[in-house]
Amino acid sequence: MGTISSAFSLISGALNADQSALSIVSSNVANANTPGYTREIPNWQENDPVSINGLECGTGVTQTGATSVRDRILTERLNQQQQMAAASGSRLAALNAIQALFTPDSGSTSSRAGDIGSDITGFFNSLSALEANPTNNALRQQVLSTATTLAGDISNAARMVSTQRAALDQEAAGMVAQVNALTASIAQLNGQIQSTSPGADAGVLEDQRQQDLSKLSQLIGMNQITTENNGLSIATTSGMTLVSGNSNYPMTTGVVNGVTHFFVGTTDITSDLASGGGSLGGYLAARDQDIPQVLNSLDQLAYGISTAINAQNNAGTNLNGVGGTGVNPANPSLDIFNPPVGVTGSAAAMSVLITDPNNIAAAGPAAGSGDDSNTVAMAGLADFAIVNGRSPSNFFSNFVTALGAIVGEVQTENTAQTASVTQLQNQTNALSAVNLNDEAVAMQQLQRSYQAASQVFAILNTIMTSALNLGVQTAVS
Amino acid sequence: MQTVGGQQRNPELRELVVEASLALARLDAERLEELAVCCRALNRGLAGLSGEDRAEFQRQAHGASRDMEVFGRVLAATEAHLEVMNRVHERMRGGLEYAGRRTAWVPWSRTEKCDGNH
Repeated sequence: MGTISSAFSLISGALNADQSALSIVSSNVANANTPGYTREIPNWQENDPVSINGLECGTGVTQTGATSVRDRILTERLNQQQQMAAASGSRLAALNAIQALFTPDSGSTSSRAGDIGSDITGFFNSLSALEANPTNNALRQQVLSTATTLAGDISNAARMVSTQRAALDQEAAGMVAQVNALTASIAQLNGQIQSTSPGADAGVLEDQRQQDLSKLSQLIGMNQITTENNGLSIATTSGMTLVSGNSNYPMTTGVVNGVTHFFVGTTDITSDLASGGGSLGGYLAARDQDIPQVLNSLDQLAYGISTAINAQNNAGTNLNGVGGTGVNPANPSLDIFNPPVGVTGSAAAMSVLITDPNNIAAAGPAAGSGDDSNTVAMAGLADFAIVNGRSPSNFFSNFVTALGAIVGEVQTENTAQTASVTQLQNQTNALSAVNLNDEAVAMQQLQRSYQAASQVFAILNTIMTSALNLGVQTAVS
Repeated sequence: MQTVGGQQRNPELRELVVEASLALARLDAERLEELAVCCRALNRGLAGLSGEDRAEFQRQAHGASRDMEVFGRVLAATEAHLEVMNRVHERMRGGLEYAGRRTAWVPWSRTEKCDGNH
């Protein structure tokens, strides 16, 4: 159609397209502060060429819609980093609370878990003091008093750690409702996106889905799989499906061995979630790995001290001239501490049984009341490997150091992961959020930062390694 | 050098490492380049340290080792991000993810003969 109207049509088409593009720009600006909004760019489509006076001419372009500037690889990576940062963050919070229990508080007069180290010393010191005057009632009373303090602090520590475990359990169980709400929302958005935009970016719907995915990443470890027609499946890190198409598979909870377990259908996914990431993963790692280790150490400490001290007291003779079960099996037991039936549960059950200070068997077997040989043996247990191959003080100090090391390790992990999330968020914002800056600037900034940081790291690493390994600094050329 | 209460003091090595990590997390290239200059100066200064100062530096190096570990991990993450971003930009240059048909900027008129400008 080689007429002048074709030429007008070409110009008006271009103007219309320009007008549509401007409305997209307006939308970008209007939504600059809308959380999760992704900048859109207009799509241009060439029109079929026409012939005017024998010349082939293009008829310009038509604006056919908008495409959001997003990149799924980048957002998926951001989600993954968020999962890891959230997991180490919640685990760190739980560990910090545990560590605070075992921090000595010199200003406090009341006995507490942080005093266990000095309680151990105090108990064995009171036995040493009894050596000099084994018949002295005040010194005998002091042994019972320090034993009571030690047993009380250990059992209280075990109870407080168990209370924290119960709190974490409750916190973790409470997250299920949030996870299910998000998976239901994602499934619903999947359905809408697949029906309205099976082959194109779904704009606002996609933004909402990305926001839900980001929130879900804070809660659990997950993998996302892009499916046909712009759909998205979500599975746990071990592959248990949570969302497929427009269906979601809700998580349920049940109590197994006193703690909350998590299920999809009839499959128990608790250990999968604990290692997967997200806040839930962090809480479960603390609940199922860190806290049981702490409790086990306290149990070993209580078991070792109780068993060794009871055996030694039963091997001596009390102030009334009566020997314990180690001397004469027919005699009543002279157990100082509640005798543990096994390692597990020893700490929580630790208490002092005897109330009569005369029942401290300071004298050796068949020895007179002035004898101190059994007290010497009991006091000497302070340096014996009676707790899992270590002396009591050494074992406790190692336990506190190991706990501090785990906290430090998780702190390091969390700091690095949080920094990584910050970086990636900046890059994602530059790329897909409403931002008038060219993303190339952000890219250049990333590249420059990396290069400069590499230089800083290389120099510091060399001079620090040199200082630490050799004690002598070598300048980097 | 930092000024505290009107007096200048040398920052601990640990502070330097922590600042580098934070600057990298913020992608503050300018600050990182400044820190690189500082590190080069520090390296030069260390060559002539006395025995006492050397022991002090060793103590500071011990104190900064965990922060150095964090810095290393942030740097490794940055390298991975850089790689991802490079791929993303590479792909964006070749068209957007959802664009079935190339939707990059199209000239208003394809043929040069009819627009009168050529």
